[in-house]
Amino acid sequence: MDVSVTVNGTTYARDVEPRKLLIHFLRDDLDLTGSHIGCDTGNCGACSVLVDGVLVKCCMLLAVQANGASIETVEGISENGELTPLQQSFNEHHALQCGYCTPGMLMSATALLRENPSPSEDEIKKALQGNICRCTGYWNIVEAVKAVGK
Amino acid sequence: MTESSTTTVAPAPVEVQKGWGGQSIKRKEDKRLLQGEGVFVDDIKRHGMGYLHFVRSPYAHAHITSIDVSAAEAVEGVYGTLTGEEVAALTDPFFQISSAPGANIKDYALAVGKVRYVGEAVVAVVAETRELARDASELVEVEYEPLPALVDAREAQKPGAPVLHDDAGGNLMWSGLYSWGDVDAAFAEADRVIAIDELHFHRFNSTPLECDGALVEFNRGVEQWTLHTNNQFPGFAAIMMGPAMKVGLDKLRFVTQDIGGGFGNKITSHPQLVVCCLLARKLNRPIQWTEWRTDFHMSMSHGNERWFSDTKVAVSNDGTLLGFKTKALDDAGAWLRYEPLGGVIWAQVTPGMYRWRHIELEFTQVATNKAPVSPNRGYSRMQHLWFTERVVDIVAHELGLDPVEVRKRNYIRAEDMPYETPNGCVYDSGDYARMLDLALELIGYDGLGARREQAKANGKLLGVGIGSTLDSGTNNFGQSRMINPELQFSGNNEVATVKLDIFGEIVVTLGTTPQGQGHETTAAQVVADILKCSPDDVHVRAGHDSYWNSHAGFSGTYASQFAVTGLGAVKGATEMLRDEIFKLAGAVFGGVPAEALELADGGIRIKESPDAFLPFMACGAIINANNAGLPEDLDVTLNCRYVYRPPFQVPDIEKKFGNLTLTYAAQIHVAVVEVDPETGYYEIVDYAAVDDCGNRINPQIVEGQVMGATAQAIGAAMHEVFSYDEDGNLLTPNFYDYHVPHALDMPPLATGAIESPSPFTPLGTKGMGEGGGAGIHAICAAIQDATGVQVKQSHNPYQRVWQMLQ
Amino acid sequence: MLLREVEYAKPGSVTEALELLAANDGARALAGGQTLINVMKARAASPDMLVDLNGLRELKGIELAGDGTLTIGAMTTYTEIMRSAEAKARPILGEVCATIADVQVRNRGTIGGNVCSNDPTNHLPPLMVAVGATMTVLGAGGTREVPAEEFFLGVYMTAAGPGELLTKISIPAGKKDGFAAVTLGAEGTCIANAAATVNGSVRVALGCVDAVPVVVTADSPDGVADAVRAAGLEPPSDVHASAEYRLHLATVVATRAAEEAASR
Repeated sequence: MDVSVTVNGTTYARDVEPRKLLIHFLRDDLDLTGSHIGCDTGNCGACSVLVDGVLVKCCMLLAVQANGASIETVEGISENGELTPLQQSFNEHHALQCGYCTPGMLMSATALLRENPSPSEDEIKKALQGNICRCTGYWNIVEAVKAVGK
Repeated sequence: MTESSTTTVAPAPVEVQKGWGGQSIKRKEDKRLLQGEGVFVDDIKRHGMGYLHFVRSPYAHAHITSIDVSAAEAVEGVYGTLTGEEVAALTDPFFQISSAPGANIKDYALAVGKVRYVGEAVVAVVAETRELARDASELVEVEYEPLPALVDAREAQKPGAPVLHDDAGGNLMWSGLYSWGDVDAAFAEADRVIAIDELHFHRFNSTPLECDGALVEFNRGVEQWTLHTNNQFPGFAAIMMGPAMKVGLDKLRFVTQDIGGGFGNKITSHPQLVVCCLLARKLNRPIQWTEWRTDFHMSMSHGNERWFSDTKVAVSNDGTLLGFKTKALDDAGAWLRYEPLGGVIWAQVTPGMYRWRHIELEFTQVATNKAPVSPNRGYSRMQHLWFTERVVDIVAHELGLDPVEVRKRNYIRAEDMPYETPNGCVYDSGDYARMLDLALELIGYDGLGARREQAKANGKLLGVGIGSTLDSGTNNFGQSRMINPELQFSGNNEVATVKLDIFGEIVVTLGTTPQGQGHETTAAQVVADILKCSPDDVHVRAGHDSYWNSHAGFSGTYASQFAVTGLGAVKGATEMLRDEIFKLAGAVFGGVPAEALELADGGIRIKESPDAFLPFMACGAIINANNAGLPEDLDVTLNCRYVYRPPFQVPDIEKKFGNLTLTYAAQIHVAVVEVDPETGYYEIVDYAAVDDCGNRINPQIVEGQVMGATAQAIGAAMHEVFSYDEDGNLLTPNFYDYHVPHALDMPPLATGAIESPSPFTPLGTKGMGEGGGAGIHAICAAIQDATGVQVKQSHNPYQRVWQMLQ
Repeated sequence: MLLREVEYAKPGSVTEALELLAANDGARALAGGQTLINVMKARAASPDMLVDLNGLRELKGIELAGDGTLTIGAMTTYTEIMRSAEAKARPILGEVCATIADVQVRNRGTIGGNVCSNDPTNHLPPLMVAVGATMTVLGAGGTREVPAEEFFLGVYMTAAGPGELLTKISIPAGKKDGFAAVTLGAEGTCIANAAATVNGSVRVALGCVDAVPVVVTADSPDGVADAVRAAGLEPPSDVHASAEYRLHLATVVATRAAEEAASR
């Protein structure tokens, strides 16, 4: 099936099988390997991206469902290769170790901050509930997001 | 207790280190990871690569009566298959660490003749796309003759138990008796002997978010494989794979860059890697293997499940612990991959943190129809330390004593350090009593009485528990001879190479395979201190590559050792480089002695006349491209490779005596839980963790490891378990049923640290990445305190807590 | 993790969706996908065709009638319910939706998908039964109204049969509701759950204990535990709870839900 998706501002036209998951389309077909796969039951959130501004786990979307949509992934966060305040805050607070959950965390944090520029600690934890991390224990991630709040 | 979720306290006095060591500089690794530009193994692509899918056994125990791959191979786009029969023809069985009877089992990269756990790989199918490989795997016809399954290790040696490995003559894999001091005398003289019937440490692991994987290429011309993989101990993988595949180890090039967590669980992927190698050669194309979450849960690296039975503890009436006897039964699962090393590794921490001298432990390891066990964060020490902590709390309960007082009475004291344990291990340094005081202060221990009353008024039970633990680091591999006297392993090593490049750039290559521990950053800090530059000037290559020739037999990232072995190698290599820079400058300046020179400002100069300055760029250029006229005897390459070797002896195998690990980091945790007695549901409402790992090169990175270990311990204590039904089916094969904690599950956390430098290591550091499961120990203790019932299981889900209260 | 081959159709209207479902035996409706896609990844079920209901305006929207009745389109997401001013007419709806899974799932998961999959651990089937919801089912023969208590037939089986669609859910006005659960971790999968409504007497719907929600009634919250024990339940045993423990939890959550409802 033909699909046309815009990812981080660039539009891609491809022919894909209906069964192809959006996460595999991004990673394998478009070579956008920043979004990751950590499970097979939609629990870990490593595949979190924004589809038309809405935070979703794209392992539970078919690529064909994203036809005509505008997708934002971790590769699109930085401008001119420079780290944004959110990314810098992660760096300052040691909010990543292996980095595998980090793209998903950044997308979830981005979605939160767009809607709630000054989230409380509880609001941040709730917003990150769908993102599993095995390295950090989450404390530093929550601090990093809180520090970016206005 | 505090408003923010985390507070950190570093009590004075802490040895202030001048320079970059001791500073929490920001990590060099982060930029690429934050931008999604990390390179994890599934990110790598090769033209024409074939995607591999494993056909896995649906039975826990069965004969394989036939395999027919013809239907699968007939599908267009399927490149080929591999069966156990082919593997048995092409390879020798994997080397077994064990002595008899475990030595006799025959372990191949795919099941041969029989399957021994649900999820065991039987056939490999390779196809043009991921989906097609999976489709085609459903067309492979495997006929099985099911056999009864053995799922309880306690039944493994009973008559009539199903036998997994006929070659071993039974399910016993390895056993050994350890005995030190004078156990009989101690028990005869004791005021009391306390009996504890059964303590059980459960089966779980650290489920790194990224599963295993590889992309393997075969170069036909030079008969060399390149394995892009996330295996975290390439030294071990190569030693296992080379002889099995009947090739020299240099034919196996391991390349890793970013690894999404390891925690020990990515050490034993060598069987799958052999399958990839054989297929890369057979099909003449790169082979891509991604392990999915369910595959990982069913087949990889479960942590040691261990029972401690017939435990007897000799005590004085005042709570002094004199000694213990116990029988440890360890469930290895279906294969011995890194086992039975768990049978000796616990002995690194034989007495735990306590001064008892009379100890006897009978260790038995058996095979069962479950996933193979291999190292999991805290490997084998965590199980034993949990045991010692349970003993302390149960003894305290029996004697009606305060667990804090019993610990303080029995902890090894700071003035005893370095302390030789009953089996000859040397605890290098530490002050456990001081750490406990700090942890209790952080948790607001004095105010807990009031909190208890408050909870009671709300119908809840509050409990507080202490978990003290050690992280023994830098193994002496000579301990493997206690498992099998014929093994030729001993000592340990790690390698680093530091050079000045042609334009003077400082380039470092490590032998390690970091999975988030910040090696690029801490290595740069060490180099910067020696060469008097900034860490920004130090380029540390990401990951590991055999072609860098910067590795040795024990290279990898495991067993809490980088701060000692890795940074020790970095220090050694950088000092070699520094000395060469001095020699070179001395020659270039016309014979100036080293004492008259100093490093500064990215170069080297004459102290008395600083205008005589040779920048590193000039040094690099002279040696690499402009070397005419240099003195003939000038022995300078500016490319320095150093192998760090810790000071070990081969242990006494007869007496099972000797130093098994170089360093002993410690953590003491305190957990406060609130239990709803109506349901058994409980929450951790407060938590403190204090760490001592000697000199900390980057305190923020150290604290991150403590936090991560805490979160994993919380998950294991409350929710995470690999539970099997009676037919050997895994009931928690994915993240839906195997609940890994998320941000909402985390308690408020206060951390603290002291630094007791190690007298034995190049930088006074100690490895500390594993932790030792202090959170599990603390939560068990807290539940015991809340309920008043002795806790004998490491895993306490709500139902168990509820049952304790009935 | 890798689905079997499947055809995909994106109908432009509910009529077209029904035609596709009726014409293709192996066709399944695709709502939020937060359950179905995972089932397909495991290859536990593999429909031949997915009929994507996303984007059908007819199935969206929340309306509040003059008499306080709420009508919610089947494709309304949990997030939309949480944010809806109209839905505040029955506050328990948004409160419970806020505890389902996580943000990502709530942004895609739908009330229709939740009730039609009828996984015994789901939150909404017992809630719909407790509040006395009515399901509107559209099929070849037209629409019919099915009371929630008759809608759930078995695990993954409801009155919306092959070739039919749940189009909307109507919920009468009310505020005296409660919901209680014991979950795997904070706001996790339910081990036991119960929804309660007080309207004179107490009506409790239990999830997790059977293939469909089980209703018990009592004069007051005090009598709920006995009513649960008298209901002859045989809850399932699994890795999270034995049958005995689950039954005990059911008595507790039922009582707590009833107490919450009574206190509003």
